[in-house]
Amino acid sequence: MHSGGFSRRDMHRMARSTGRRSNARRPDAEMTILEEVPAALQRQLESVLEEKEDIKIAISTDLQFDGSYGKDWVLATEKRLLAFNQNGVPAPEVQNIALEAIDEIEIRELYGNNFMKVRTSEGAVEVARYSKRLAPKFAEATPEIETLIDKVKPEDAEKSKRHRKFVDPGKKKIRCETCGRPIPRWSDVCPNCVEKGKLLVRLLKYAIPFWKVSVPALLIMLVIRLVGVYPPILSKNLVDDILVPATMAMTGGQPVDPGAFGQLLTIVFMMVGAHVFTAVFSAVRGYMMTWVGQRITLTLRNDAFQHMSVLSLDFYQQRETGNLMSRITQDVGRLRDFIAEGLQDIIGDSMALVYMCIIMFVINWQLALWVLLPIPLIVLFSFYFGHKMHKVFHVLWRRYAGISTILASTIPGIRVVKAFTREKYEVDRFEEQTHQVFEGEMNAAKLWTLYQPIMTFLTYIGTVLIWLVGGRQILNGELTLGEIMLFMTYMTQFLQPVRTLAQMNRRFLRAATSAERVFEILDTPPSVASRKDAVDLPNMRGQVEFRDVFFSYDNEKNAINGISFTTKPGEMIGLVGHSGAGKSTLINLVTRFYDPNEGDILIDGHDSRDIELRSLRGQIGVVLQEPFLFEGTVADNIGYGKPDATRQEIIAAAKAANAHDFIIKFPDGYDTTVGERGARVSGGERQRISIARAILKNPRILILDEATSSVDTETESRIQEALGRLIQGRTVFAIAHRLSTLKHANRLVVLKEGTIDEIGTHEELIAKGGTYANLCEKQTELSKIRAW
Amino acid sequence: MKQPIRIEDEAQFLDPKLVKISHNQFAELQAELPDGSVHAPVEPVRTFPLTQPDQYISLLDAQKNELGLIEDINQLERADRTLLAEELKKCYFMPKITRIYSLEGQFGVTQWEAETDSGSVFFDLRSRNDITSLSGGRVLIKDIDGNRYEIVNYHQLDPKSIALLETQI
Ligand SMILES: Nc1ncnc2c1ncn2[C@@H]1O[C@H](COP(=O)(O)OP(=O)(O)OP(=O)(O)O)[C@@H](O)[C@H]1O
Ligand SMILES: [Mg+2]
Repeated sequence: MHSGGFSRRDMHRMARSTGRRSNARRPDAEMTILEEVPAALQRQLESVLEEKEDIKIAISTDLQFDGSYGKDWVLATEKRLLAFNQNGVPAPEVQNIALEAIDEIEIRELYGNNFMKVRTSEGAVEVARYSKRLAPKFAEATPEIETLIDKVKPEDAEKSKRHRKFVDPGKKKIRCETCGRPIPRWSDVCPNCVEKGKLLVRLLKYAIPFWKVSVPALLIMLVIRLVGVYPPILSKNLVDDILVPATMAMTGGQPVDPGAFGQLLTIVFMMVGAHVFTAVFSAVRGYMMTWVGQRITLTLRNDAFQHMSVLSLDFYQQRETGNLMSRITQDVGRLRDFIAEGLQDIIGDSMALVYMCIIMFVINWQLALWVLLPIPLIVLFSFYFGHKMHKVFHVLWRRYAGISTILASTIPGIRVVKAFTREKYEVDRFEEQTHQVFEGEMNAAKLWTLYQPIMTFLTYIGTVLIWLVGGRQILNGELTLGEIMLFMTYMTQFLQPVRTLAQMNRRFLRAATSAERVFEILDTPPSVASRKDAVDLPNMRGQVEFRDVFFSYDNEKNAINGISFTTKPGEMIGLVGHSGAGKSTLINLVTRFYDPNEGDILIDGHDSRDIELRSLRGQIGVVLQEPFLFEGTVADNIGYGKPDATRQEIIAAAKAANAHDFIIKFPDGYDTTVGERGARVSGGERQRISIARAILKNPRILILDEATSSVDTETESRIQEALGRLIQGRTVFAIAHRLSTLKHANRLVVLKEGTIDEIGTHEELIAKGGTYANLCEKQTELSKIRAW
Repeated sequence: MKQPIRIEDEAQFLDPKLVKISHNQFAELQAELPDGSVHAPVEPVRTFPLTQPDQYISLLDAQKNELGLIEDINQLERADRTLLAEELKKCYFMPKITRIYSLEGQFGVTQWEAETDSGSVFFDLRSRNDITSLSGGRVLIKDIDGNRYEIVNYHQLDPKSIALLETQI
């Protein structure tokens, strides 16, 4: 390792001496292909350019050819292309290529950087190296340069390979237009520019509806705290007014005041009274606040889940299930603690401190000052400690989340684990994680065990001070025995609220982290949502039009690359193409699991984004490529999309999907539970149940993504036949690799790398002899072999 | 009885001594394979770009069909190795971060300012998922535009950089 020889401290020192900040400037988000050329370059240009030769294009790079960050330039005039390579400073190397000579401009998209390369008949040179950030600029400039070339070489503008589409329109907006900050992948809105209250204020909002309980609870607490400071005063009175005079009297040989026992009794009663009062009301208050806390949890948790269910698929793809689960379960609980308890603790503890201070200062302000002396130390220590603790807890939290992640991935995948006999591996992985948790917990414990003695010692300083200063005052006759006892008691009572208050910041931090995580869910706007003015489309005819649709999952590679075609209402479209061609993606766009990055999908002539999502999806029936069943009975699953479905409808749908026959063979018939994810039924059965589920909705648009891929050919043709009857008047998109599945299709769309390769009826495509014909031939051959 | 196939034989490695790498007139990588065929342009692809950058290099032709695999570029003749290594260095650009000056943002959507072995740089991330931490403190970062960065061992950064980074991983 290159830096292995340095200790951390060395590195730190070195880093300091090189200055705190880099002098790099944040690159402009704005992209223009005619940038302002710096003066030095301008001067050089004058020597190269002819009279009246104008710069048409000037773009700077952010990388140099040696792979360091820096600016090179590519310029184009109507005559030539110039590339300035600043590595050769002070006399930069210049590439000067006449436009006539250029055959092609090539963009090489590589890992982490791109190159622009110019090819002439004799050779080729790289003219620019730039990071992915500038890719759009260069993609825009390239066709412009080509246009310039075409002007000097009009004769071969046609036949040249130029004018390939470099501009990649499928890219989603990734930076905010107002602030230039990145926009999260799962959202269309810049979180920074969305007006957002401070976390705390927002948290309080959840407590407000319960003010009728929490305000009285707060009042009770204030009273309890007030009463709580009273017993020490009583003891003081007991000592000073009764016990000490009595002792004095006895040492002086005088009789004790006969009324003294009566007084003693009164004070003891009052003490008991105060304790009973505090105990009873603390219990009442505790119950009230638990209620408030649980109500808050209820609202917050349901809000979060409700919002989560609205969120689009890309939100889920970005996160681990375990992570999302712990937000709904743990983080919400932590927020509850904070809102319900934390805030009241702050108020209550501060009040208790104020009460005690007042009393101490009234009794003896000098001693009071001495007592307060160690308090800043205690605060500082708790503060510092809380900070440390927060870090440890944060790590610990992540480790706990790691456990959930492992569980969430191995439990559903247990079949694979067993099939590959990787139980040991998974167990080891789990053990490693639990060990990490163990270590984390022990780290936390280490801190805690250190904390206790130090805290005790700091308090002890206070006690010692009281003995010292207070004792001297007693000797001087400035303080009574009862008073010094009172100070002693307060000293210990002081400690707990001071500690809680000092650690408040940690609680704040923890709550803030949890709040961030919960609010992330609540604040994320779904990237696919109904517009405000979205309309219902009650009787969809089922005409679907794709207009220049582009879509990318990751903004790097387009999954759909410019697709346009229209289905007639009631038409059955078969989608074919090799694996990964974009078939499932295309239908994901129809159901609006995702929205196209560019282009429109129109349903019955309405932009699908203008149609109320409920209305749209309510009329689309989908059988997904990986059919998912919920834990529940067969009937529940078939009726999932239509909760009010009658038994009769359920049976009818099952019949149409050819599922009825196998369902009634189950001992429990339609009441059979399918297990989590439908694990207790076979693959083909799962598919048929999900077909029944889609049919039952009576959708206007039916989507079958490899819906019958796991059933035998005979069953398939029976489903086909039933579907053939059912799909009358519905638009159907059917995806299949087995071409026989698509024999009822009116038209076939052959996809290839996100574009339409061929489109037409079976006969047309066979006649054309293209990809589809090829595929068909192969499959018939195959079926012949099989038949034979 | 037939011998069961050995799965290792399925990956076809080229004899490193018989592979000749050069540039053609169009500054493209050209490869002469053991069977004597000459291909250009050839695109070298690291099959384990993160864990084994110099081993298992796949050579693709213009149609992205694999011509063959090179087990280890160090087995090539010196001149060939230099050319191939240079091309790989161009094709895989992943600066190493040596220091993080600032890191702002929330919810994993962050803006970074960092020093790398290629100079100082600003970049933006749009999700915490774009940061991958591997064993040994190695951290891989992919920014919003698709640029990649690497931290060889984050424990060896200065404390401030570590503190900033640890908020994200
Ligand atoms: N969720 C996703 N995130 C990122 N990329 C994806 C995602 N889903 C699919 N892709 C990519 O998009 C491309 C198209 O995928 P799609 O699922 O549409 O293929 P398909 O035609 O349905 O293939 P198959 O016949 O195998 O089902 C593929 O290259 C795939 O890797
Ligand atoms: Mg698919």
